[in-house]
Amino acid sequence: NAQVDPGEWKCEFCPFTSGYDAEVDVGAAYVSDDAARFGNANGYDEAGAYVDLGGEGHYANDGYQLNWFAEDLGLASRVFEIDGGHQGSYGFYLGYSELPYRLFDTTSTVYTASAPDSLTLPSGWVRANQTSGFTNLASSLVPQNIESDRKNFTAGGHFLASSNFRFYADYRHLERDGVDMVSGANFTQASILPRVLDNETDLIDLGVGYSNGPLNLSLAWLGSFFTNNVTSLTWENAFTAPAGEELRRMAQEPDNDFQQLSLSGSYRFNAYATVIAFSASMGQGGQNDSLLPYTINPNIAAAALPKTSLDGKVDTSNYAVTLTANPLPKTRIKLAYRYDERDNQTAQVPWSRVIVDSFASGETELNTPYSFKRMQLNASGSYDLFDDLRVSAGYDRTDLDRSFQEVASQTEDSGWARVKWQTTEWLSVNAKGGASSRDIDRYDTTVAAGLGQNPLMRKYNLAYRYREFGELMASISPMNLPVSVSLSALWADDSYTRSTLGMTGSTTTHWNLELNWAVSARASVYVFGGEETIEADQAGSEAFAGPDWFANHEDDFLILGGGLQLAKLWDNTDLRLDYTHTEGDTRIAMTTSASGRSQFPSIDTTLESLRVTVNHKRSEKLELDLSLRYESFDSNDWAIAGVEPDTIPTVLSLGANPYDYDVWVLGLSIRYRIGAAKPATP
Amino acid sequence: DASPEYSRKGADTCIGCHDEQATLDLFHTRHGVPSDPRSPFGRGQLQCEACHGPGGDHAGRVRRGEERPPVIRFGKDSETDVLVQNGKCLGCHEESADFAWHGSGHDDNQVGCADCHQVHNAHDPVRATASQPEVCFDCHQQQHAQSLKPYSHPFDEGKMDCSGCHNPHGTGTTNTLFVRQTLNDTCYECHAEKRGPYLWEHAPVVEDCSSCHEPHGSNNPGMVSLRGPMLCQTCHSQAGHPSIPREADGLADAAPSPYLLARNCLNCHTQVHGSNHPSGSKLMR
Repeated sequence: NAQVDPGEWKCEFCPFTSGYDAEVDVGAAYVSDDAARFGNANGYDEAGAYVDLGGEGHYANDGYQLNWFAEDLGLASRVFEIDGGHQGSYGFYLGYSELPYRLFDTTSTVYTASAPDSLTLPSGWVRANQTSGFTNLASSLVPQNIESDRKNFTAGGHFLASSNFRFYADYRHLERDGVDMVSGANFTQASILPRVLDNETDLIDLGVGYSNGPLNLSLAWLGSFFTNNVTSLTWENAFTAPAGEELRRMAQEPDNDFQQLSLSGSYRFNAYATVIAFSASMGQGGQNDSLLPYTINPNIAAAALPKTSLDGKVDTSNYAVTLTANPLPKTRIKLAYRYDERDNQTAQVPWSRVIVDSFASGETELNTPYSFKRMQLNASGSYDLFDDLRVSAGYDRTDLDRSFQEVASQTEDSGWARVKWQTTEWLSVNAKGGASSRDIDRYDTTVAAGLGQNPLMRKYNLAYRYREFGELMASISPMNLPVSVSLSALWADDSYTRSTLGMTGSTTTHWNLELNWAVSARASVYVFGGEETIEADQAGSEAFAGPDWFANHEDDFLILGGGLQLAKLWDNTDLRLDYTHTEGDTRIAMTTSASGRSQFPSIDTTLESLRVTVNHKRSEKLELDLSLRYESFDSNDWAIAGVEPDTIPTVLSLGANPYDYDVWVLGLSIRYRIGAAKPATP
Repeated sequence: DASPEYSRKGADTCIGCHDEQATLDLFHTRHGVPSDPRSPFGRGQLQCEACHGPGGDHAGRVRRGEERPPVIRFGKDSETDVLVQNGKCLGCHEESADFAWHGSGHDDNQVGCADCHQVHNAHDPVRATASQPEVCFDCHQQQHAQSLKPYSHPFDEGKMDCSGCHNPHGTGTTNTLFVRQTLNDTCYECHAEKRGPYLWEHAPVVEDCSSCHEPHGSNNPGMVSLRGPMLCQTCHSQAGHPSIPREADGLADAAPSPYLLARNCLNCHTQVHGSNHPSGSKLMR
């Protein structure tokens, strides 16, 4: 209406924010037991008391803002962030966070890190050809947790140079320190080693965005730089070794870098609501760390290296263009094309391997710098058949060309159809189904033979595959009832009908059901359940001929849970409860021509998790949180159950135990509010 | 029909009725900042009606028994068409460098912006790491279940969010919405040590991490799709130990087998992501 002039609107009743407010959390928690898995990512891995701090604060005045956020400052999962700026002009942020990775606290080793890149055996270590001969093993073992921490520093900002131009910069520095597991092979023997982790990654994103009406453009540069402060690992061989040949050495992950320049954008046409979006990126990665010599063994006259560093280079190209339009009423189409290329330009050079620092292979072999090109075409359309019924269909094609692999050219065609039916205001159904066929030009058994492969092997990522899939999502919200139910189900079946050896088929089924019930304005309840089963079949050949053994895998995962929220359980007291029960079950059956069908013991994992929080608002400024968390986890993984450091005759292991813990955490925290942002004068 | 009319006093008209705290919390968000000329409450902007559309009829007098004319409402329960809802948001937010909404998987499925975002909430759950997965899992129920598998990324601890890997607003990278150009580039954000290039590469690694890993969670350690050594044996059939079937008689209580127990194939071939050792062609160094 011509009479309206928003510039005259006063907004007298608008409570614009101005001033400072904050809330500070001070808390303490008690953890009942040591459990590495429980403490993974949260830092509660050891029994005992923890003090925790957190909170957030906000300052706002005339568009200027400064905010801070803190979480778990007393834990190894701490987070601290600051952001601010003047809205509409510029903004910045700074952050620091840590993430603990806790894998095992039941492990022990005979090795000591005399330096980050060197592991030594205890003095007087008794070598033998088998672990049973390590007569002083028991007295030499010392506990060694397998755990590490990620430290994450972030900083960045943006600047709006005008209504059209936006500049931004993001920086992230990631440090990882701790101890990880690697294996040190000694031909037919191996020692699992606690290697020291000490590496850093720097990530930089710089960019400028331009927008003008229907046109958006963005130019961006990415730099990613990985630095490993431990680029090799030398260890003393625990097994019998000739005098003077006790040392072994492996390379660790080398420093690498990657830079990428990207231009992306979109243009919106008035005709048919057409939008064309595109992106084009060109990148280059490199790696040129000094190479280790062929062997650390001084008694082997190894050949000279053909080069002292790899001078590895990879060029990447990524192009994409997407068109969406509504060419007819109720009709929408989409056409998309994408091209990704990894072009490894590292030179092929002949190398002469020394096998596990023990003897020269006497053969030369070329490195294989793998490259690939992937082209994807998607075409789809949808039509609103009725107001409540939309039908869609699409065709996807993927062409993949590879170098140095058994299949040079692979094509996958996929067709699908979908129905979205909003039958009433309380029932909606979304169903999709389709099939795809992945074909190959040929499986080059010459290449396979060069790798020593059985000529009948068809690697599953290269092989012919026929896939059928279907999925269903339904949402039910009966009118006038405060209940909603959602259901999802998925099925996918892969058939590798032309594979004699390797993966021959796999099937995934999944269902999930969730019910939410708003019992009253103060109470709500939810329950959910679901199951996923992944089944896979493979064939192998011990005789290096046709298939003479078959394996069937079945990974089943069941999840059940529920919870409730009660507001004002008592005066100013709220309660939240969440319970989760999961069961993982992995069953593997082997059928061999020699021994018939046999079954591995089922690998069962069970998780029970209960989280209860009671929040009491003592006043406008003061709140109390009482929390109880209980978690029980039990696993009988046969890969590590009963495997002590000397259980495997030829592998000196770390003796990790399957996870089995019951932990409860009792926490109490006080939240205090400081200040209060006040309405500003409009 | 004549164009619908705007209200006479803008937000002051709206707040006269809609004065509940959940609505007024908008003024604690970036949408409620008057000094930003781009904000709905910037000078000359249409305030509430910038998003909810002209509210003149809605705010006007209604005869007894007559339904009040609606304005644009947002969210899954809204009667407003999702394209109209999203059109309002995209009218401003399309002009953003990290937007490639049109043609993205969420656009294809007609996901509404307000299906995920709570615009009036200063603590929009989808914008916080701890609470974001719960929002995404509302639709992505399979991923929710997978995230609770024995081996997964730490979503359940509130220390990792979905947007660490996925850009829900689209990135022009087909329907998977990765934050970087490809799946592998996305994984290298945190696992840059696996990027190489290595002297000795493992072919499937450089092409697709998900050839072996299930990034949302797995029953198997390392989030791999199958147990070793069988996983490796789906591709490796060389004469000798790679092609020999491993059975339960190789478990710890029988004849402990290095090919089954501890790290199985990785007991020796530890460098499965690539080796930079001149003698590392078999990924043992």
